[in-house]
Amino acid sequence: MEEVKDKGIHYTSVKLCEDLKLSSSYINFFTDVQRVVSSSQVKVEEFGDSLFNALKETGLEAQLRNNVYYWIRNQVKENKTSAYDTFFKKAQIQWEKRIHKSLNSMCTELNVHLARPRYNSDREELIEKWGELSNYDVDVTKYRPVYSPKDFLEVLLNLKGPNYKPKADEPVWEFCHIPIKVKELHDLRILFSELSHGEPVLGIDVAKHLPCSYAAFEAERIELGEKVVDSNQAPTAQEYLKKGCPPSLRARIWKLVLGSGINETHHVQYEKLRAHVLQYDLMIDKLIIKDIHLTASNDDQYFVFEDILHQVLLCFSRDPDVLRLLPYKPGYMQVVLKGKTEPETTLTFPPSGVIPFHGFTMYAAPFCYLFEDSVELYFTIRAFYLRYWFRLHKICGHNQGVVCLCLLFERLLQCYDTALWHHFKKINIPPIRVVFKWIMRAFSGHLPPDQLLYLWDLILAYDSLEIIPLLAVIILIFRRANLLRVNTLQNIESVLADLSSISVMSMLQVALSKE
Amino acid sequence: MKIAFCTDLDKSVVVANCEKRGWVQVGPEDEWNIYWAGTLTCRSLFSVDSGYRMNDNQMINHFPNHYEMTRKDLLVKNIKRYRRDLEKEGNSLAERWDAKYLHLDFIPITFVLPADYNIFVEEYRKAPQSTWIMKPCSRSQGSGIFLINKLSKLKRWSREANKNMLQPQLAKECYVISRYIHNPLLIGGKKFDLRLYVTVTSFRPLKAYQFRHGFCRFCTVKYDSSVAELDNMFIHLTNVSVQKHGEEYNALHGGKLSVQNLRLHLESTRGKEITENLFDQISWLIIHSLKAVQPVIATDRHCFECYGYDIIIDNKLKPWLIEVNASPSLTSTTANDRILKHKLIDNILSLVLPPSGFPDVRWNKIVSPDALGDFELLIDEDLINQEEINGDRHSKSSYYRWK
Repeated sequence: MEEVKDKGIHYTSVKLCEDLKLSSSYINFFTDVQRVVSSSQVKVEEFGDSLFNALKETGLEAQLRNNVYYWIRNQVKENKTSAYDTFFKKAQIQWEKRIHKSLNSMCTELNVHLARPRYNSDREELIEKWGELSNYDVDVTKYRPVYSPKDFLEVLLNLKGPNYKPKADEPVWEFCHIPIKVKELHDLRILFSELSHGEPVLGIDVAKHLPCSYAAFEAERIELGEKVVDSNQAPTAQEYLKKGCPPSLRARIWKLVLGSGINETHHVQYEKLRAHVLQYDLMIDKLIIKDIHLTASNDDQYFVFEDILHQVLLCFSRDPDVLRLLPYKPGYMQVVLKGKTEPETTLTFPPSGVIPFHGFTMYAAPFCYLFEDSVELYFTIRAFYLRYWFRLHKICGHNQGVVCLCLLFERLLQCYDTALWHHFKKINIPPIRVVFKWIMRAFSGHLPPDQLLYLWDLILAYDSLEIIPLLAVIILIFRRANLLRVNTLQNIESVLADLSSISVMSMLQVALSKE
Repeated sequence: MKIAFCTDLDKSVVVANCEKRGWVQVGPEDEWNIYWAGTLTCRSLFSVDSGYRMNDNQMINHFPNHYEMTRKDLLVKNIKRYRRDLEKEGNSLAERWDAKYLHLDFIPITFVLPADYNIFVEEYRKAPQSTWIMKPCSRSQGSGIFLINKLSKLKRWSREANKNMLQPQLAKECYVISRYIHNPLLIGGKKFDLRLYVTVTSFRPLKAYQFRHGFCRFCTVKYDSSVAELDNMFIHLTNVSVQKHGEEYNALHGGKLSVQNLRLHLESTRGKEITENLFDQISWLIIHSLKAVQPVIATDRHCFECYGYDIIIDNKLKPWLIEVNASPSLTSTTANDRILKHKLIDNILSLVLPPSGFPDVRWNKIVSPDALGDFELLIDEDLINQEEINGDRHSKSSYYRWK
């Protein structure tokens, strides 16, 4: 944003127009505007005013405003201020190299290609089973996830900060050597002010603070929410989410906030991605299938959605727009395809630039509760990924990045439950080790879906991932009595294994409000 | 005074719950207060020959003739009679439109074979291409079930059944034939049915409670209504005992999705009103199935019973009652299953015990809200009568979730 302001309004508007013209909704928008201009509503005499009114009445003005809003949101660039930019960049490049190396060695070991044109028979089977890909017959038993959250945490904990002074025999324990400022509880209270003021929100388990019954409050929220949806204003929708979203409106509100509504061009795009899946056999396909088998297929909350998850995740791997729209350039490989008849071509591998890790599926699974149509599902998952999830498996110093989230978790726990912190220290178990999987998956697969979606409402509402480490700390503190009683990693994990009784909104509210 | 319990079921969930309450396990010959029995044990206990008389401090988990509801042919018979009776009374509940009951149309059209064969054929000819499902009246867990879409297939089956004259118990077996719900609601492309739990503590007056938890049982194979797949039971039958043998069965989730998650998905994709309407219709259906058997169930103040309701939802979000089980499975197939069933037994025990905590049949069985646990009141005719006496008509609706 600062960057945008610096260069002046003229520059900004030129850039804005250029970018809007490139967006997928532009063609339709332009056609609609032309239609309005040529209608009788617009008069030559008062061209400006009458056009403006006509655009407002037809809802095109709101559409344009939303597009400007999405555009501004996407101007946030990576690491613009961090002093440790180069340090993190180097670490990330090294990490990506390791991943690529491990992909390559897996290929050698299994004697498969990274990418190659798909065999006809295989293509036919895929086409036939597209609707039930869980029955697609492919042997993935020998494939292993490239890395797990645990491996990634190991990498993060081993980051030698720019000011790192090694001490002899010191075990890798925490992030405190990384000199980045993170928010304190006080700042979080200001950020999440609606929650800290104890205003009524949806999703609380006891309705004692409500002036009326929960059902009446919910009805009131739904009525308001309908108006918000009708207004078609993204900023209003985002504001609305701060008090929690009724399930019945969530799909529409989220689409509005993210700008992930779809039109015909999206269907065409999705069809192209599908065609790419059918045309090329990528090694990463098996990793995706393997990950779905290991996660969603075994999960009693998500197993019903395994077929559609196959579809959208395979398409995701093929999406060059993911690579283009990510606010940073991930490393990718170039693979030369040797076709028998076609000339040699190179392929970006994977086209999306995203290499899944163990649990990647969980970034997508909860959305299946909201959307039945695979195209709608796909574009909302993609929008969420491009805004938030990519930060959870990337090494960077961004205040929303996973390193800062871990730091935030540690500082909060240190400050607000020193006794518990010391207990962890005494038994020599880094607390981050027990919560890292929650953070890296944004609690997906750990919280029941209804609670998880309330949490994700807040991510969107405040446009911040900081709610995740905050919730992690709160859960630890909530279970402190039981945690203080045990002293092995296994027992600690079993105290924290079952989160089915957690009421996200209530706990956040209690923790954020001052006594 | 310590409560003595007795059970003939080899189910840890029952014993664990009773022991957690500090009760003592005794044998059937001893003085027991609560007997958690299988239906067969229960029947022999109630039979005239046994000569067993329960005292005021004894309770048992079945009604003597629960089969009026749980045998497929009798349930149908009772519901048909219930509709006719209401119609004779001129009750608006029995209103019809185009020969169909408007409000009481909650079971698929069903006939008992061989008795109703001629009426069945008449009905079949109205829509000759439709699919029907044959089920043995008194078997369970999906055994002996098959689909037919041609009369000839039924005739062939009947000829073969007659050949079994040498084994009269097979030849005489009665079947029900019902119109097959060919358009079930699918989630992720797969068919499922609902298993819900309802506890009845008294039939006259009717007192029934619905358990908030329950689950959907999914088929492992994508739904396909084509004729070629008519014999593939992995597509059509949701019974865990059937699905377990499928290649795709997953023992971690057992094909079970919680009702809460079904509700979340429906609310998110279809809207709140539609979803609530569906669940209200389900409660409505349960209440009327109970009212249908109310006059024929033997009243016995010692009895309570937990029924497993099997319901299929069609793609227009209309629920259909498929059958009722008097001994819903207490076996746990997954970890969550175990939690659910443990809680179910715990909540049933809280529900059926008077506030003193000691079985006493003289108690009026009006359950205080604190003792409901995760049960919700479906209907309590005592409470309705009280209100009518008090003339408190305004709050009447609050006792019914379905209004």
